[in-house]
Amino acid sequence: MEQVTEKKDTYTPKEISATRRIIGDRGEYFLRSVEGETMANISACYQCERCTNACPVSIYMNINPHQVIRYVQLGWREELLRSTTIWVCLSCEMCTTYCPNDVDVAKTVNHLRNMAFRSTVPPAEKVLAVFHETFVKELQRFGRVNEFWLVGSLNSHPDVLKEKIKTGALKEELFLGLELLKKGKLKLIPHRSKEMKKIRDICLKETRGTI
Amino acid sequence: MNLAFYPGCSLEGMANDYARSIIAVFEKLDVGLVEIDDWTCCGATAAHSLSDAMSVVLPAKNLAAAEKMGLDIVSPCANCFNRLTYSRKMLSKNIYDVPWNVTGKSKVHDMTRFLAQPDMISQIKDNVLMPLKGLNLVSYYGCQMVRPPRITGFTDYENPRTMDHIAEALGANALDWSYKATCCGASIGLGRRDIQLTLSARLIQKARQTGAEAIIVSCPLCQANLDMVQTEKGSQKVPIFYFTELMRLAFEGKACSIKNFRMHLTDPGPLLRKKALID
Amino acid sequence: MIPLQNNPVGKIMIVGGGIGGIQAALDLSESGFYVYLLDKGPTVGGTMAQLDKTFPTNDCSTCILSPKLVEIAGHPNIEIMTFCELLDLEGDPGHFKAHVQQKPRYINMEKCIACGLCAEKCPKKAPDLFNTELGKRKAAYIPFPQAVPLKYALDPDYCLYLTKQKCGLCKKICPVDAVEFEQKIETFDVEVGAVILSPGFELALTQKDGEYGFGRYPNVVTSLQYERMLSATGPYEGHLRRPSDGKSPRKVAWIQCVMSRDISRNRPFCSSVCCMHAAKQAVLTRSHLPESETVIYFMDVRAHGKGFDEYVERAASGYQVQYRRSMISQLYLNPQKDNLIIETFDHHLNNTQEEEYDLVVLSSGFQPGQGWKTLADRLGVSLNPYGFACGDFDEPVSTSRPGVYVCGVIESPKDIPETVIQAGAAASEASTLLSNSRKFLKTDENKSAGEETDEGKDAEHISKVGVFVCHCGSNIASVVDIPSLLSEIEKIEGVALAEDLMFACSAETQDRIAERIKKHGINRVVIAACSPKTHEPLFRKTLKQAGLNPYLVDMANIRNQCSWVHAKDPKTATAKAMNLIRAAISRAEKLEPLTEETYEIVNNALVIGGGLAGMTAALTIAEQGFEVHLVEKTERLGGFARNLTHTLEGHSPPKLARLLEDRVRSHDRITLYLNSELSEHSGYIGAFKGTITNEQKEHEISYGAAVVASGGKAYQPMEFNCGQDDRVVTQVELAKRLQKDPQWPKQLKSIVMIQCVGSRSETFPWCSRVCCSAAVKNAIAMKEINPDIQVIILYRDLRAFGFKELYYLKARRQGTLFFRFIPEETPVVYDDGGDLIVDFTDRSSHQEFRVKPDMVVLSEGIHPVSDNEKIAGMLKLSRTPEGFFLEAHVKLAPVEFPTAGIFLAGLAHSPRFVDEAIAMAKCAAQQAVKILCRDKMKTSPTFAVVDPDLCSSCLACVRLCPFGAPFINEDGVAQIVPAKCRGCGICPSECPARAISLRHSTDDQTVSEIDALLKKASLDI
Repeated sequence: MEQVTEKKDTYTPKEISATRRIIGDRGEYFLRSVEGETMANISACYQCERCTNACPVSIYMNINPHQVIRYVQLGWREELLRSTTIWVCLSCEMCTTYCPNDVDVAKTVNHLRNMAFRSTVPPAEKVLAVFHETFVKELQRFGRVNEFWLVGSLNSHPDVLKEKIKTGALKEELFLGLELLKKGKLKLIPHRSKEMKKIRDICLKETRGTI
Repeated sequence: MNLAFYPGCSLEGMANDYARSIIAVFEKLDVGLVEIDDWTCCGATAAHSLSDAMSVVLPAKNLAAAEKMGLDIVSPCANCFNRLTYSRKMLSKNIYDVPWNVTGKSKVHDMTRFLAQPDMISQIKDNVLMPLKGLNLVSYYGCQMVRPPRITGFTDYENPRTMDHIAEALGANALDWSYKATCCGASIGLGRRDIQLTLSARLIQKARQTGAEAIIVSCPLCQANLDMVQTEKGSQKVPIFYFTELMRLAFEGKACSIKNFRMHLTDPGPLLRKKALID
Repeated sequence: MIPLQNNPVGKIMIVGGGIGGIQAALDLSESGFYVYLLDKGPTVGGTMAQLDKTFPTNDCSTCILSPKLVEIAGHPNIEIMTFCELLDLEGDPGHFKAHVQQKPRYINMEKCIACGLCAEKCPKKAPDLFNTELGKRKAAYIPFPQAVPLKYALDPDYCLYLTKQKCGLCKKICPVDAVEFEQKIETFDVEVGAVILSPGFELALTQKDGEYGFGRYPNVVTSLQYERMLSATGPYEGHLRRPSDGKSPRKVAWIQCVMSRDISRNRPFCSSVCCMHAAKQAVLTRSHLPESETVIYFMDVRAHGKGFDEYVERAASGYQVQYRRSMISQLYLNPQKDNLIIETFDHHLNNTQEEEYDLVVLSSGFQPGQGWKTLADRLGVSLNPYGFACGDFDEPVSTSRPGVYVCGVIESPKDIPETVIQAGAAASEASTLLSNSRKFLKTDENKSAGEETDEGKDAEHISKVGVFVCHCGSNIASVVDIPSLLSEIEKIEGVALAEDLMFACSAETQDRIAERIKKHGINRVVIAACSPKTHEPLFRKTLKQAGLNPYLVDMANIRNQCSWVHAKDPKTATAKAMNLIRAAISRAEKLEPLTEETYEIVNNALVIGGGLAGMTAALTIAEQGFEVHLVEKTERLGGFARNLTHTLEGHSPPKLARLLEDRVRSHDRITLYLNSELSEHSGYIGAFKGTITNEQKEHEISYGAAVVASGGKAYQPMEFNCGQDDRVVTQVELAKRLQKDPQWPKQLKSIVMIQCVGSRSETFPWCSRVCCSAAVKNAIAMKEINPDIQVIILYRDLRAFGFKELYYLKARRQGTLFFRFIPEETPVVYDDGGDLIVDFTDRSSHQEFRVKPDMVVLSEGIHPVSDNEKIAGMLKLSRTPEGFFLEAHVKLAPVEFPTAGIFLAGLAHSPRFVDEAIAMAKCAAQQAVKILCRDKMKTSPTFAVVDPDLCSSCLACVRLCPFGAPFINEDGVAQIVPAKCRGCGICPSECPARAISLRHSTDDQTVSEIDALLKKASLDI
């Protein structure tokens, strides 16, 4: 959102400031490839910011949803893969639902998240990235995902453990876990599917062995 | 009439009270639930986060199984419903390498909308033993059941009414509020608990502002999330019910034990006793 | 358009009685044709009757519309047919048979006297559709007080008798036995020569859509509902309240582009007018409730019309209307107050803001009304995918069915002035088609006024004044104490009757006034109501109807000058009203009967300018049988269009120019003067004289009417190194280059376009309307030739209104990048060691950018031509500060000037598209035809006269008169030509010998008026 009485910035030509970016020619290629894979209508965007206003977690993102679309148009892959945006996105689909141009913003962000997993760019939200990987690992183990095992294996990841000890989240989760156990909300012995091979093959193929 | 029942992983663990209430409720209705044999995880948010294609292919096993049974699928979990529906829609493009044969003949129903059909509503009304008179509640649908509308089929995505209709059939007061489909943040709860708590706490506050004494949900993650967030002392507690739990309560009346609600972190006992809905 | 030779029917059917239909009806009936004006509802008036006020003047919409309603109501050549729908059309142009269905009114139109008893006693309430269902009315109803025809109707969906055979009370109590429950649907055929479709529109937003909780939250209303909420005749009687609790809103938000520019709802086009009505509504809200806060959420401010930017600027800075460039997703309800919460992300604070509003207005887009598609299909009128009957670029009001024309929103979304222009254009098409069946208008049909009255009786009159005090609904009556006024007026000597009226201006009231005049032997009339500027002509007609000389009426403006300005002080307002009425009575007693003179009309026209507009105007007039002098300054015809290549929609203006040129050159009724200018101009409407000069010689010509189509020119930029660096060009230059060398874009990698060059700046403050489309058009053209070329468009507000939005979408889909800048951060273009560099800041990503394009293209504005000054001086026309011509009335007289007989078209009026210029030319030409098709012209009797005995021939009047009316006659004294005199009053007040007096404003009349005003106020309530 922006007031029409916008702030005036001083301008010094010739000097390229730290923030001034050059628009090169790679935008078109990146845009077309993402658009081709997602069918997300990215080029139709007119930057109305309805997605950013709809998004419940805009404030936790360093690149807002409408800017994600712009960055894709400009071909700024690296910035996007490094962003917090692709990790804090909740996949709540508010952006996509309210887009007047039928831009599938959520799918675009998800696609970037897929790309991030396959790239060497370190995720800006490590724990969230590990969570998704752990979930799929668990899925590959039993075919179903058991909450007790999921949390256990997530928290035994060294990066996650470090982070959660630091923030105190681990302690909280342990107490909560005990509470849940008492209430009978945790199933301790998981079910194992009869078609594990097929499931593992799918996961292996689609994640290209990244996890 | 029978339906292929796809409970989803949560209903085995955190939400096994949801599963029990569903089974209890359907016993009274003219619809049989047949659990899909050896069903597997839909992939949830994680699968599509890693690979969109994986999220399309994984649910195929369950779709194929239901087709073999010759039944439509009913999914009580919003996320499972979303993922199965998405998978079914995308598989029709025939561009994926899938080890199971899916033709698309089994439809996927979200349980609330299935039960909100006019004939089901009248069945529900017929089964009400104890109307939930004076119970002011709001229904909370969350994201995955309603959005994106072109997948879920909810054209009234801002104001879905399926659970409201069911609640009204049970005799409760379903209050209108604007946050029916506002995200509770559950999907990143394990990584960014701060965000999840902020979003969920806000929903509880908005529900209280609307005058709701309880919230009904159909999504296990939403339930857990909204249930867990009410830890602060002193504030008015808003129990989070699965809508089928209240159906069971209305169907069984005073025969329904408080023990059925023991898994709730936010204890619904005081509210139900206040409304004389339980002894 | 060639006139039919097959003895066509000189009658036209107009379907839809909104402002478009009304204007077309007036234009045609005044051009010698008979008009059937159909409306499917109980009254004409359309959407304009529902509007509160109109920008930029903030005139009351009904107040400017109702004189037109009254005019059609009493017009001998217009037949209003209510509850009627056109079902089908058989036959060919000139000889159509129209099948019409009429639904029953259940009230006999002949008998009903609109006493209102039926509505008063009716026990059944129904949703008030005129008030957009914000209130209730009775099942027996009139939609609004100024309805035409003013006849009651029964609502068959609610009337107890019609639904359940119960009640029947209205039938029992109707004093004239007008209720006819037994009326049935009737169908009949009407022979007509042509058809004009102007069915208008409805809002696209319905409660079904669920958009922004409309229908779910009580304080979310549509833009049209808000008009009714603001209106004095609306459900809240002009006091701005919100629906849920009747409280005055403190904070009001507007959400723009609801059901517009929305692909996901299959409404990808822009509805063109919502930006401006939101600005107007916000301004009105701030003036109703000065402590209120108003916020408009928008994407682009599409203020692309004449003076629109200025109005928006005034709204923002003068009225503190807050503009927020942000589209919100949904509204949240605060259940405790029924307030609405808007969540937006604030880039400066980097957080989400929750703002609470008492009321939210949704600026809904338009769609064709129910049943339109069926009708269009039956008539064979083809529509675009969204149901609009978009006209062609060269024939903007024609349809795919010959002899059937369209105007207004049904053609494409548009505002009132553009609708009026198209109405005139549609009328011109029908008028041309049927011109062989035109009945030339004879002035003796409207006998000149003096002949009817018995002047002898008047000469020694004892004045019997009749005073009529208008309530203006609640406009006057809610402030001014009318009963006290009446009792006070009755005491004044000479007053024979004092009576109050609900709406003095309504058509039916005129009969009542006339009846009173006759019955009480009244010989002078005072109407205490609103402004004589808008309503005096109406009451003059009424006097004539009553057999009185029409100049024996005076008006006291107790609405504008009393109830409006002293709304908070009823006592003062009433006292002042009394004073004004007393003064008016005093003046009325001194009024003298005046007669109108007639003179012969010169039946040919002058058209200034040989561009598309000028040629179109000349052809439109010539084809209807009148001689035209067409003057073009340069050596060739075609004007601005010669510079263009093609339009956004793919049409070729130069080709059109060539086609028109061929027709102009071969037309035997058009005399063409190239390399020529009008060097002298004199005379008056119907009888102008002028001199056309070129290098060789001078031509003396005479003409009854003139059309000014002097054109415009492209701005030649000096900015951004244009002119110094040949890599910096204008859009016109780019288009020409593309035309000459179609493969050229293949050599280019990157191109940057900069908008608003020579527009919307401090020096050139207007929006040139067409440049956004020009940029989009050229971007599409380049991308089609070379899909890999990078096209970047730097803009401020992308004003691709109407269906031009579809091309904006196409350009985006092709990969053209649009970045928005603000004037404080204008892009910078410079050369860096041979590299062309553009630095700019994008406001949506808040990022500074640098591009190294091969070319920079400047979207140059449209400017007025310098000749306008000369033309304006010679023809005594006014201009805007920018140098375009200023029309007589922004809304309802867009092609007219205050100087009668001269009309305006094309770029001389304002920047516009080719189709708009063509429509305007046809409209202007038709106004000229309305003069040329008469045999005689009447003069206004309110002219100045010189007493030759007192004149000292000092020449003061001759020098001072702005209209050149006085001259020194053979006797050596000043004389004033009545037809030229506009009655401005300069000469009488300047004449040192006091030899001049202005008829109808004599010293005697004015002094007695002043004396009465100065009497001590007697009404001390």
